[in-house]
Amino acid sequence: MDDDEAITRSLAGDLAAYEALVARYSTLAHRTAAMLGAGDEAEDVVQEAFVKAFRHLSTFRRDAPFKPWLLRIVANETHNLTRGRGRRTDLTARLGATAEQAAPDDPEGTAIATDRRTRLLAAVRLLPDREREAVVCRYFLQLSEAETAHVLGWKVGTVKSRTHRGLARLREEVGRDLG
Amino acid sequence: MTSDDPRDLEAELIALGDSLDAPDPAGVAAAVRARLERPEPERRRAPRRIRRWQLVAAIVLAVTAATAATPQGRAAVVQILRYAGIELRVGDPAPAPGERQPIPGERVVTLDEARRAAKFPIKLPAELGDPERVTVGDGGRVVSLTWPGGVRLDQYDGRLELVFRKDLGPPWPEETRVGATQGWWISTHHTLTYLPGGGGTPVPLRLAGPTLAWQDGGQGLRLEGVASLTRAVRIARSVR
Repeated sequence: MDDDEAITRSLAGDLAAYEALVARYSTLAHRTAAMLGAGDEAEDVVQEAFVKAFRHLSTFRRDAPFKPWLLRIVANETHNLTRGRGRRTDLTARLGATAEQAAPDDPEGTAIATDRRTRLLAAVRLLPDREREAVVCRYFLQLSEAETAHVLGWKVGTVKSRTHRGLARLREEVGRDLG
Repeated sequence: MTSDDPRDLEAELIALGDSLDAPDPAGVAAAVRARLERPEPERRRAPRRIRRWQLVAAIVLAVTAATAATPQGRAAVVQILRYAGIELRVGDPAPAPGERQPIPGERVVTLDEARRAAKFPIKLPAELGDPERVTVGDGGRVVSLTWPGGVRLDQYDGRLELVFRKDLGPPWPEETRVGATQGWWISTHHTLTYLPGGGGTPVPLRLAGPTLAWQDGGQGLRLEGVASLTRAVRIARSVR
């Protein structure tokens, strides 16, 4: 069952089809919420977003891809949450075990690589909100410029310029650190 | 990061993103489905849903439509939902009360005094810490805790009688979950009226902010003044 079929069935009230759609996108939705600042409330945000998505499914344009439409709802819910808390959005993510497995037979090289990633992550965290959101969407979530524009509700040109500024700032930060 | 090639940084960011742990989304699909399966006021025209709804109504709540809902006349239709000691009227919102009124007999007390006066065990939300002010109203029928910034938690016996009425315009309040119980989220400002025990004259209290209403055992609770549903549910879940 592809997205289109799942959506058709969901619109007809088939909750099993919608459940399958939720299962397909829940990991990505969680990553998006957590990386855009939902923190330990990512799970609540994601649940809320999927319930809203179902209730507004009839407004989804069928010729458009589902992923950016859904992630926009997730991003909006995350923004509502961080606005409600009145605090700066923060990227909440931890370096996972996979970072340690980069070169199992080269512990020293692995340590250096992990250290570099830690510093790069710290630098991403310190970016101004808008630039960080652009970098998170483009590289961490691997969305295209057009998808990022849709998810964050920006123009494509704005995505380009904020990504560019973010990258320049990161290059300056980690370059100075590691040079 | 020894090279100046912009592609190196982009590739490194992608690798970094791949190495980041995301929270485990286990159970989301089932939880979402469970929420969507529960009857919703707007959807109660489906016969099966009405039956399930009425089953719940036998325990804690009742839903009635004052007049037949037609697509054209929807906005004018007053729909009533009774839950956890609260009557919600959705339709043409009532005019807001001119001035704030306290609950009859409301007085400031200490938490211990409130515990002695209340007709139910008082619960505290760990998430908010100690309240700034505690009041008991109407001979211990309602206990209100307040925190700085207009956050307020009212507790009352929600089993037998209606305690509050809320008049609001569309949309319908949103159904949500507070732990294992059902809750209702009213995101808009609305008129809050106190309904004294024994059928006394209703007392218009004030224009209330966003509110989450839920029931814990026989106790009705309403949390007012938290703008985000997620945050409100988080606070509600911390109530012990």
